[in-house]
Amino acid sequence: MARYLLGRLIGLVGVFIAVSMVAFLLMHSIPGGPFDEEKSPLPPAARANILRKYGLDRPLYIQYLRYMGSALHGDFGISFQNPTETVLQTIGRTWPVSLRLGGLTIICALPLGILLGIIAAVKQNTWIDYVATFVSTLGLTVPNFVIATWLLLLFAVRLHWLPTGGWNGWRTWIMPVIALGLGPMALAARYTRSSLIEVMRADYIRTARAKGLSGTMVIMRHALKNALIPLITILGPQVPNLVTGTIFVEVIFRVPGLGKFFVSSIYLRDYPMLMATMLLVALLWSTTYLLSDILYTVVDPRVRLYGD
Amino acid sequence: MIRHRIWSATALLVVFTLFLSACGGTAPAVPSASNTTPQAAPATAEATQAAAAAATQAPAATEAPAATQAPAATSAATQAPAATQASAATSAATQASGAAPAAVQLPADAAPREQQVYVAHYDNTSDFTTIDFFESVYKRGGAITELLSDSLVRLDKNFKINPGAATKWESDSTGLIWTFHLDPNLVWTDGTPVTADDYVATFRYGADPKHAWDFTWFFNGVIKNWDDAVAGKKPLTDLGFKAVDAHTLQVETQTPAPYLPAMMLYSNPMQKKALEAHGGLYNSDPATSVSSGPFILQEWKKGERLVYVANPKYGGTNKPLIQKVIDIGAAPSTDFAAYQSNEIDFMSGPNLSPADNTIVSSDQDLQKEYHPHYGDFRTDYLFFDVQNPPFNNLKVRQAFSHVIDRDGLIKSIIKPTQGIPAYSFLMPGFPAANSEGLKGIQNYDPAAAQKLLADAGFPGGKGFPKITLWLRNEAPVRQALAQAIAASIKQNLGIDVDVSNKENKTFTDAMNAKPTQIQFGMVSYGMDYLDPANMLGVFKGGGRHNWNNKEFDDLYNKASSFAGDPATRVKMFQDAEKLLVSDVGSVFIYHRTPGDLYRPYLKGTELEPDQNGKAAQHWPGFTTYSQLVGSMYVSKDVTTYRKSIPQ
Repeated sequence: MARYLLGRLIGLVGVFIAVSMVAFLLMHSIPGGPFDEEKSPLPPAARANILRKYGLDRPLYIQYLRYMGSALHGDFGISFQNPTETVLQTIGRTWPVSLRLGGLTIICALPLGILLGIIAAVKQNTWIDYVATFVSTLGLTVPNFVIATWLLLLFAVRLHWLPTGGWNGWRTWIMPVIALGLGPMALAARYTRSSLIEVMRADYIRTARAKGLSGTMVIMRHALKNALIPLITILGPQVPNLVTGTIFVEVIFRVPGLGKFFVSSIYLRDYPMLMATMLLVALLWSTTYLLSDILYTVVDPRVRLYGD
Repeated sequence: MIRHRIWSATALLVVFTLFLSACGGTAPAVPSASNTTPQAAPATAEATQAAAAAATQAPAATEAPAATQAPAATSAATQAPAATQASAATSAATQASGAAPAAVQLPADAAPREQQVYVAHYDNTSDFTTIDFFESVYKRGGAITELLSDSLVRLDKNFKINPGAATKWESDSTGLIWTFHLDPNLVWTDGTPVTADDYVATFRYGADPKHAWDFTWFFNGVIKNWDDAVAGKKPLTDLGFKAVDAHTLQVETQTPAPYLPAMMLYSNPMQKKALEAHGGLYNSDPATSVSSGPFILQEWKKGERLVYVANPKYGGTNKPLIQKVIDIGAAPSTDFAAYQSNEIDFMSGPNLSPADNTIVSSDQDLQKEYHPHYGDFRTDYLFFDVQNPPFNNLKVRQAFSHVIDRDGLIKSIIKPTQGIPAYSFLMPGFPAANSEGLKGIQNYDPAAAQKLLADAGFPGGKGFPKITLWLRNEAPVRQALAQAIAASIKQNLGIDVDVSNKENKTFTDAMNAKPTQIQFGMVSYGMDYLDPANMLGVFKGGGRHNWNNKEFDDLYNKASSFAGDPATRVKMFQDAEKLLVSDVGSVFIYHRTPGDLYRPYLKGTELEPDQNGKAAQHWPGFTTYSQLVGSMYVSKDVTTYRKSIPQ
């Protein structure tokens, strides 16, 4: 296990270097820069001043090496958008908000989805199943920003029950959590249902039934445990998605999270912030995959990690 | 399987990276360029002429320096302090006595002081770094800014230039040296007086190569030694700004610049002391912020909200009735929902989607709250790479100019409330505009267009290359406009046109590249200050486009620095514009006439109809550049909308 982990961690370093290089090259290859020439072209002197100020007048490889050098010392630079803060301070200010929104969403959506899936599987081909299937298809197919807009129109504009946005108090959490959670909930429900139905046909379930166990007992004790294994594959990647914030939901509901920086850093050519968000995403995704691989060995004894 | 996953993770990351980069082009709620320029306003030909005239008046006098008289506002107010003119009245009184500012009297129909709160949204998806013009112009997030000090002059609803921090100004006989006399009642919140040194320090900061200000081009060729100072070739102390004494500022220009007072709208100073102690971002934190303007910074939560409260020590002439300004960070697409939910008092009209506009026009109350105006005199136009075939042929350009049915496009796509047809560049109401006189040159005439194209060697479009019309991150309505233009070109001229809506900076970079990378594009321009020199400057040789016309440049340069009779100057600009239109440096499509939504409880003399009968929050909106700050208040009707006082 230790050898396996070590191998994976070394692999991760490679991933990071690759990601940083690709990201750095790509972001510098987009035209434009952290200056505005919308009115008219900047006089050369003014343009040169701006490039010098941001250190963009040096060759690209020097810029990259300098960046990586500072990054290794924990210095990710100063965001062009928020020059009064370092990139880390900006992330430190906004990420907890996204984490909280994502966390609330996971806590609400996943158990609810699994529950919905179980009910649908047990009551297979009844109206309950159809309703559950309909709800989850809706959740999967309608993008979260459409759901967000519906919620906004209904609860804020029409009914005046909830504020249109912001992030102060539970009243402002409701709509973003629903908008963000419907998709993952549906996903959990769909996979729980199909996986449970498959497991229910297995021989050991018949055995459990033959032993005289009650229906609930069979499902809770025997079926569910195995049915949930595939969910790790499916739901694992939802975690980094949710905790890094989503641009649409955060923007629509004025949630001051990290989500918008993923996009705004690109169109504002905020290179330090862009690099930091890329690396953060790389870190989260790779750890999530690593964790779900390890989790497999815990829940499914058939899985062995090489090197064990 | 496990090893496989590492690779799939890597692959995913790369794909994700690519996706993020690609997102730049389709990112939602990308702020448009126009959003960073203030909102809007109506004007009449007379009003703006008056402004231009006022600016040109002084240099015309050759003998003694002619002082530009302070317009009637303050003196009239002292005479008849009507309830609604309370602010002007008090400030006039303050000025007269030179004593500490008195408490502002609210008009009779005003809501109580604690209700004098003004709430609006700013675009928190755009770059919002500073609330100081001289720190950055394009990184102010379209927020309510420039409330912390007074510029030398300010505008009223008729675009007339009124005294601001300068009580009066004059130029010498050469027209090169301008003297601004500062209001001695202005003090910073730390108790020190506002002096000419603060202005000098601010302009030096603007030119400082280390600061790399994004608006240095504005003063290029105008202020003495500005260009050289920006390029680092001359010390900042050589700049044409001088403090003659504590309250006298002298400005020296490179050539006579009759429009200088108009330009000095952008002269709100930063405090020299704070600049030296904390640098240009001292107003980012209430702890280091210092104000001599009508408001002080109370709170700034980045990305979330910005709160100002009225400055009790304010000694100037733009004393606010509004006691608190709350500016909330939000994506522009969410403004309408917040407005309908009574969370904001004002929303910028251009942020209304076509669907929102339909709701507004079908709702009687909302219709009354919609106030159309002239915006920043913005014109949308087509441009060409005129240095290369096929657009180096005038006949081709003329053919293009004759196939656009502006009236039809306005009626079916833009909507008459949102724009008027343009056959020339300067919008009616802007100084030197000559819309009627130039209307016939680029008129809609498909038959003439077909003939011109045939004469150019492309009968029926035969042999004409397929072209792409580039757009700069345009809103859906102008994407539709471009599609209609492309269809019209295809239908009338038989030329295939693709429309491609590009990401903002990608477009701008390609447009500004020398040689330009855009063969055929559509873009807009809106003014920075009220003088034809500003708008027409966009077509100067070596500027935004590669339509280079020596005759135009000569006329433009001569007119710009012409210090004689204003009418002659106007005529010179009109001749220049005629050249631009006849030589089809551009095909003009429409002038935008945006509007804003605001609740009927926002009142004040500046919100009452202007000379043209338009009642609106005039450009430049709620900022010390405008008298709106000293005029607008919340009336008692507010209680039917707000359930509680916004915090």
